[in-house]
Amino acid sequence: MTTTCTVSPLLAENVGTGCGENAYKCYQCKRCTSGCPVALYSDMHPAMIMRAVQLGQLDMVFDDKFIWLCTGCETCTTRCPQGIDIAAIIDELKIIARRDGRIPADAPSAVMLKLNYDSFVRWGRMWEVELITRDVLKRPTSVKSWLSLGPKMMLKGKINPTLKRGNTMAMKRMVQTSESITKANRQRQADAAAAHTGGES
Amino acid sequence: MSKTLAYYPGCSLHGTSGEFDASFRASARALDLTLLEIPGWDCCGNTAAHSINRLLATALPVNELAKVEQDMKLDAVAVPCAACYSRFKTGAHEVEDAETAADVRAVVGRAYAGGVTVQNLIDVYHDAVGLEELAARVTRPFRGLKIACYYGCLLTRPPKVTLADDPEYPTHMDDVVRAIGCEPVDWNYKTDCCGASLALTEQGIVDDLVSRILNDAKACGADAVAVACPLCQVNLDGRQSEILRKNSSWQTIPVIFLSQLVGRAVGVSDKELGLKKHLVDIAAVMA
Repeated sequence: MTTTCTVSPLLAENVGTGCGENAYKCYQCKRCTSGCPVALYSDMHPAMIMRAVQLGQLDMVFDDKFIWLCTGCETCTTRCPQGIDIAAIIDELKIIARRDGRIPADAPSAVMLKLNYDSFVRWGRMWEVELITRDVLKRPTSVKSWLSLGPKMMLKGKINPTLKRGNTMAMKRMVQTSESITKANRQRQADAAAAHTGGES
Repeated sequence: MSKTLAYYPGCSLHGTSGEFDASFRASARALDLTLLEIPGWDCCGNTAAHSINRLLATALPVNELAKVEQDMKLDAVAVPCAACYSRFKTGAHEVEDAETAADVRAVVGRAYAGGVTVQNLIDVYHDAVGLEELAARVTRPFRGLKIACYYGCLLTRPPKVTLADDPEYPTHMDDVVRAIGCEPVDWNYKTDCCGASLALTEQGIVDDLVSRILNDAKACGADAVAVACPLCQVNLDGRQSEILRKNSSWQTIPVIFLSQLVGRAVGVSDKELGLKKHLVDIAAVMA
């Protein structure tokens, strides 16, 4: 078996331009990992992610499911002695992974986040019933876990099947404007970076 | 004196957590708070937006804040869902940066001047009503019911956004339950994560996290756990049947919304509080 190792010296810079955080400030004290509720459940953990970002180790970051287990609980961000917003870096890595098509197969949360996003973009509000239905259609194996809890919740009247829409026109406009501004900002940053390196590469 | 707050229920309170919405509204009415729901509110972006479209994640809550400030002309909004609250506080914090504010302004279509205080469920009782006033309004006090106050993640973290007094060991919810006759217990998992939306995809992990939190609450003598977040409630209450299936010696513990505890204490009827919607029965501790 050949082991390949994709390295991008630009990973930390790209994370920085995306979310404004400087990954190089991390000195590996591992307080983030100590407090992370999901560090036990994947090969990578927050401090390893930070090191891999510094070193531009794309495969270490994106082949592992850790970033997709992150619940956004903000414990790492709260405790970092260097004041790094680690949760924001994890979010940025999720954005990069999605953009570059680097979502691992064992990350159902990546699919769920997109279903969730599409739901509130479509209706102005997130519709839980739609989310579950579409998830089952995409991941038929998930039906077992829904069946363990769904009927009990229905019997208790916990599940409201109806949807009250939000302001769908305003939502649509905000989604479109935010996407085009983000795209323009990224282009501007890329141009500035190219100018800085004197047009090398 | 009656106070008026704008009210942002959010998607969960219109979905799986109807009893949170109902009990919050009823308790506010009993406490002379007028809640005005933001007309035509949109989703705050929840967990998904900030990991897909960062600018939209900031703009969505700021759009609601601009409505409160400029259309409703109110200076405070109650956001009882902890996840929505976090998005509102984060949005308000991020537009303090001029460059972000300019982009957000373009998305929202107008500027938000920063004139709205964002209050979570605990803030509403602790600050908008006030502890003395709350205690004075109690008609059906609890008689020393032992409560583990569970804050979870987003009511206090990150402190640069929430400005929480003590993000590792908050006490405001403890103060509120004490004011209505409960006895808050000193415990270790006040701010540990319940697994949040992993309940939709990684149930095994959530069962581990929930077991750990509830075991500590029980070990520290709690009769019930109080929560101020719809997702925490669904996880801590709902996963117990699955935990029991895996571990037959599991002792269930009721998980109650703070708004249900306060509502009962200030005389709201059981029906309005939605006491029958819980998977672990809460009738005994609410009697």
